[in-house]
Amino acid sequence: MNKPSRFNRFILVSIVSALLAITMLLSGCTSSQPSPVTPETTAAIQPTTTMPLQTAGSTPAITTAMPLTTTAASPTTTLAPTYTPSEKTLIVYTAASLKGVSTKLGTQFSAAYPGHSAVFNLDGTQALKTQVENGAYADVFISASNTYTNTLKGEGYFINSTVKPLTTNYLIVILPSDNPGKILTLADLAKSGVKIAMEDKSVPAGTATYAVLANLAKSTYNQDWNTSVFKNVVTYETSEPGVATKVSLGEVDAGFVYESTFTAAPKDTYLAITIPKADNYLQTYTIGVLKQTRSTGAAQEFEDFMLSGAGQQMLKDYGFRPVS
Amino acid sequence: MTHWFLQPEKSRRTLAVIGAGFLIILVTLYLALPVAALFFRITPELFFSSLSDPEVQSALGLSLVTSIISLAIVILVGTPFAYVHSRITYPGKMIVDTLIDLPLVLPPAVAGVALLVLYGRVGFIGRYLNLFGITLAFTTVAVIMAQIFVASPFYLRQAKSLFEQMDPAYEHTARTLGASPMRIFATITIPLTASGLVSGAVMTFGRALGEFGATIMFAGNLPGVSQTMPLAVYVGMEGNFIVGITISILLVLISFAIMIAVRFLASREVPLA
Repeated sequence: MNKPSRFNRFILVSIVSALLAITMLLSGCTSSQPSPVTPETTAAIQPTTTMPLQTAGSTPAITTAMPLTTTAASPTTTLAPTYTPSEKTLIVYTAASLKGVSTKLGTQFSAAYPGHSAVFNLDGTQALKTQVENGAYADVFISASNTYTNTLKGEGYFINSTVKPLTTNYLIVILPSDNPGKILTLADLAKSGVKIAMEDKSVPAGTATYAVLANLAKSTYNQDWNTSVFKNVVTYETSEPGVATKVSLGEVDAGFVYESTFTAAPKDTYLAITIPKADNYLQTYTIGVLKQTRSTGAAQEFEDFMLSGAGQQMLKDYGFRPVS
Repeated sequence: MTHWFLQPEKSRRTLAVIGAGFLIILVTLYLALPVAALFFRITPELFFSSLSDPEVQSALGLSLVTSIISLAIVILVGTPFAYVHSRITYPGKMIVDTLIDLPLVLPPAVAGVALLVLYGRVGFIGRYLNLFGITLAFTTVAVIMAQIFVASPFYLRQAKSLFEQMDPAYEHTARTLGASPMRIFATITIPLTASGLVSGAVMTFGRALGEFGATIMFAGNLPGVSQTMPLAVYVGMEGNFIVGITISILLVLISFAIMIAVRFLASREVPLA
């Protein structure tokens, strides 16, 4: 007598829980109301390396499993995203080369705008662009490449009026501090046996490197030099800090990175060979507020902060150059 | 005849069937839909045309070659090792047992960092190899080393348990009839455990083929040298989307083939003790 009723109850519970699970799954696809996140202003700043998406109610990660229905994935957002003070933590998708300065930027932003905080997702701009295009949620996007910015603008992800140049950066060649490859000039990069690390051409720093090498081959060295340098490449990293790490580990003899990486590194981490300005590539970073943001006001404040004297000075301290 | 919901036993049974069917469908869809979605993301024409893309072909060729070499090394070294490990007790056997399972639990990226720290140019062993002109990091050899590290547990555990479970009476009988240990190993032990060993080998191959974290850390990312299929998917998804999807589909097809092979081969049982 007892056994059948217990089994029956079990089946009932399992059906109900399965239905609950389905409901949660579906609600994840369409909800817009974030559950109130209590922002620990300083604590939230800590994870500045690749942050997983904030689990505030809407879980956009689920939308990637469905056929890409583009930005309309959260259709229930109200028409004018409201300015919600203090409750919001901004998610800033940032080009990886801002890795060193992002912690400080977060702290200063919270200090300047009490109750606000920013969380950074740092990765190669190309990776971030793919994530946004596949439905990832972010409030602000800092891109290291004008090309990618323009693509995202064309695809309608940005509030175009908010897209502004943020800072600039030149390329530089860094070497491990003990210079295992005995590289003294750019010509030595073509020596046989030298190991070079470079970014993949989809990374903005990688495109810049290709351009710089082409410029150098045309102006100073010849095409053979260019070919030999590429023969010496042992790895195409997927982000600019990846190259810096390989060089600092001493596993490669040289790497192409941004000047800011060299300037901001502790003394004696790297040696560097500068690239003549005429052949160098000036990368322009842009900042913009994404259309999907749920807190346009706070996002705009963050952008204003980055463009303000305080933000620009911090970037300068970490080796970035001002926009001309 | 009253309705089913008025008859207690029948209604309970129907509910049970509905509940069970629901759960089964839920699990099946969760696993199957993402894989199916891959195939619907690009058209067959795009798929077949990108098969001739040099990036795709180099990744495919490199992956297959390195995985086969890794598998060969694991089998050649692992089978005698598993046999010895299962037949004799030696001091520290417990520790070795645990070590065999370690790569299963260790995150692959950590394995890659560990290999780099040891065998890299400034690594603890690597620096001495460097003096002799031997480089390991950022070469195809590094790819193979990484694959062996993460995939060998699959074969070693399988072989070990097969040899342990096998009835030693067969080997003893052969011994009494005058066969040498080598001959016994080759003609008795291996044929009896063959199907289990092959299924272990196939899983090892699948794991080696899918290795990403340790490869990108220790071997780097260089087309033709270290850019295996999983790496090509990762890079492709950030730049050349079509290439990324094509290689993903190729990997799915290979995985399916592996699974079917395992099901088919694991059907024969080992004669138990």
